[in-house]
Amino acid sequence: MSARGAVGWLTTTDHKRIGILYCLTAFGFFLVGGALAGLIRAELASPGQQVVAIGTYNELFTIHGTVMIFLFLAPFGAGLINYLVPLQIGAPDMAFPRLNAASYWTYASGGLLVLLSSFATAGTGAAMGWYAYPPLSGPRFSPGVGVDLWIGGIALVAISSLLTGVNVLTTVFLMRAPGMTMWRLPVFTWNAVVTVVLGLLAFPPAVAAFALLFLDRRLGGSAFDPAGGGDPIVYQHLFWFLGHPEVYILILPFFGVITEVIPVFSRKPLFGYPGFVLATLAIGALSIGVWAHHMFTTGAVDNPFFSAMTFTIAVPTGVKFFNWIGTMWGGRIRWSAAPMMFAIAFLLNFLIGGVTGIMLAAPPLDYHLNDSYFLVSHFHYTMMGGGAFGVFAAIYFWFPKMTGRMLSERVGRLVAVGMFVGFNLTFWPQFVVGLRGMPRRVPDYPPGIGFDAPNLVSTLGVVVMSLAVLLFVWDWWRSLRRGPSASDDPWGGDSLEWTTSSPPPEHNFSTLPAIRSHRPAFDQRHPELVR
Amino acid sequence: MRRAAVVVALALVTSACSSTFGFPEGGTQQGRDIRELWTVFVLAAIAVAGVVYALIAWSLLRYRRRRGEDPDALGRQFHANVPLEVAYTAIPVAIVVALFSASLLTERRVTALDPDPATTVEATAFAWGWRFVYPEEQIEIVSPPSRPGEPGPELVLPLGEPTRVVLRSQDVIHAFWVPAFNFKRDAIPGRTTSFDLTPTHLGRFRGVCAEFCGLNHAVMTFTVRVVEPEAFEAWAREAAG
Repeated sequence: MSARGAVGWLTTTDHKRIGILYCLTAFGFFLVGGALAGLIRAELASPGQQVVAIGTYNELFTIHGTVMIFLFLAPFGAGLINYLVPLQIGAPDMAFPRLNAASYWTYASGGLLVLLSSFATAGTGAAMGWYAYPPLSGPRFSPGVGVDLWIGGIALVAISSLLTGVNVLTTVFLMRAPGMTMWRLPVFTWNAVVTVVLGLLAFPPAVAAFALLFLDRRLGGSAFDPAGGGDPIVYQHLFWFLGHPEVYILILPFFGVITEVIPVFSRKPLFGYPGFVLATLAIGALSIGVWAHHMFTTGAVDNPFFSAMTFTIAVPTGVKFFNWIGTMWGGRIRWSAAPMMFAIAFLLNFLIGGVTGIMLAAPPLDYHLNDSYFLVSHFHYTMMGGGAFGVFAAIYFWFPKMTGRMLSERVGRLVAVGMFVGFNLTFWPQFVVGLRGMPRRVPDYPPGIGFDAPNLVSTLGVVVMSLAVLLFVWDWWRSLRRGPSASDDPWGGDSLEWTTSSPPPEHNFSTLPAIRSHRPAFDQRHPELVR
Repeated sequence: MRRAAVVVALALVTSACSSTFGFPEGGTQQGRDIRELWTVFVLAAIAVAGVVYALIAWSLLRYRRRRGEDPDALGRQFHANVPLEVAYTAIPVAIVVALFSASLLTERRVTALDPDPATTVEATAFAWGWRFVYPEEQIEIVSPPSRPGEPGPELVLPLGEPTRVVLRSQDVIHAFWVPAFNFKRDAIPGRTTSFDLTPTHLGRFRGVCAEFCGLNHAVMTFTVRVVEPEAFEAWAREAAG
């Protein structure tokens, strides 16, 4: 029996509690990163310097990017993986529960260091952008302690990701319940497997890059400083070797989420399960070979090769879209349910992110679009329009399982519509200003050259989105204490977590149903349909 | 009625083909090539997204659960359709091969270096300004200290002739971007990179630094002025003298 109350939470090795800690911490970082984005948009609402000083602005976008990528989206995915994978495969816990706790606390400490790197360094904060290109991030141009704290924080987050990866793989490979073959794994768990494999492959070179950068900064190295014979391009290769798989580390868990949500609310099995799994594996494999498409404008890489690899990755992503449409086709779709509304919004937004991604994969178009607001908008359509909407779909879907209470369906619909409208108001105008020539990472722009109106609309969109998020937080807080009780299976779910109580007991399952397909909970409810 | 629909459709297609979809028209030969590629990509994107959105909308409307229907009623429990799955894998492959080929051809043209450019500019980026040196004409133009709203130093190019730009950085990474030319290239310390600009339009164009380079990144601007070749020679004589 675990300890109760706060001590219980702080000392827990239960995968469900660790998963919830991950999700709560990550959501806290989402609110922090969102507040920073709000300040950025306030400054950009109209030309001129009004809200913050230039140096502060540079810290704002540096920490906004770092927080959203490394401390919100990836760890929220890790939280879901922690919570769901043992339940979905019918295991009592992760393979290494104490290692799991260590991963969480490593991540939380890294997050704290990253926040300190900007907010507690009195004018020497990290202000070099989230990818920390040397020589700007080197000792001559960023002498303050901020960058060192940032390096330490990100290194801890990377280590946490490696520990989680080892743990998840061991769990999935060795602890599946009898009957749970790999070809019966729930799709979320498949996406979790590919996600952690990518983490294991991509983080070590990046940690090497950060270590070399630290040597350059504090111990007289010059790996990346041409003044001492180094080469900044080497850093870019190492960094993007992490950086591009990282965007798939961010999005794959949420591909998994909506692929759990859509069949349940369409009352259908996933269309083309084997094709979907193969597409996920293909995305994982290809994502290792596309990194230098971030470097088309350097003139220092083989553009046609990396361009071809990047175009290719559109194919398995397209396959997934047809899996989702095929699943809805012929169903009885309950699309007014909040998780389904977020999943649909994910589809609509992510498609825009996808087709603009194809544009950016063409080096000649990248020569105009790279480092413009077009690029900013493109990756927000994937990371926010996809990833963050996936976060909300997951919260609305699994909140009843995690807490035993329901969130309000009506408020959920309002939050979904508000976020969708606010999101598109924010980011569609950014395509327009980007095409017109507005570079990213500027606190100011001249009036009268076509930048004013789109920027104002974009800022208003953030206001709409913020209201929707605040409404969610209020409903979450209210429902946590007073929401109606949830049944064990409020949605008619497919995977094993819906066959145990809400919330599940500490050991997860007292009995397991027979596992004869990738939908054991469905088979249990509909024995007449088992083939 | 049908004829009217055809006319409207034709009008939409023609205006779509003549539109640049928000992309600058391109003030250089290279920029125009890039803009033509952009049009191809946008039309492909509209077609693909149109089909996918239509399928999503149809599924949601046609297969929605009706009011009063049994909440536990199931949809038809089909799992797969192999010919369909092969088709929806093969068609994206074909689209992607076509787009990649178009992109590759355009890239070869816009990055090609003329064996005999009309003139050469050595552009050096530094935090936070630009130095433009014309070695043949013995001209050097350097940024004044960057201030918001100032146009920065002026890069003068002859109309209709290729100018070689040899780009370097003397401190951190910068990027040379002229949005009206649809083109940018990173300036990386320790490396030299070259590209050609062949202007097709007279006028003044805004240039910016596109790679974040520290405190005054936002005001690290310059101006490109395109003049007739005779005017360029006159300007060069005066500037060198």
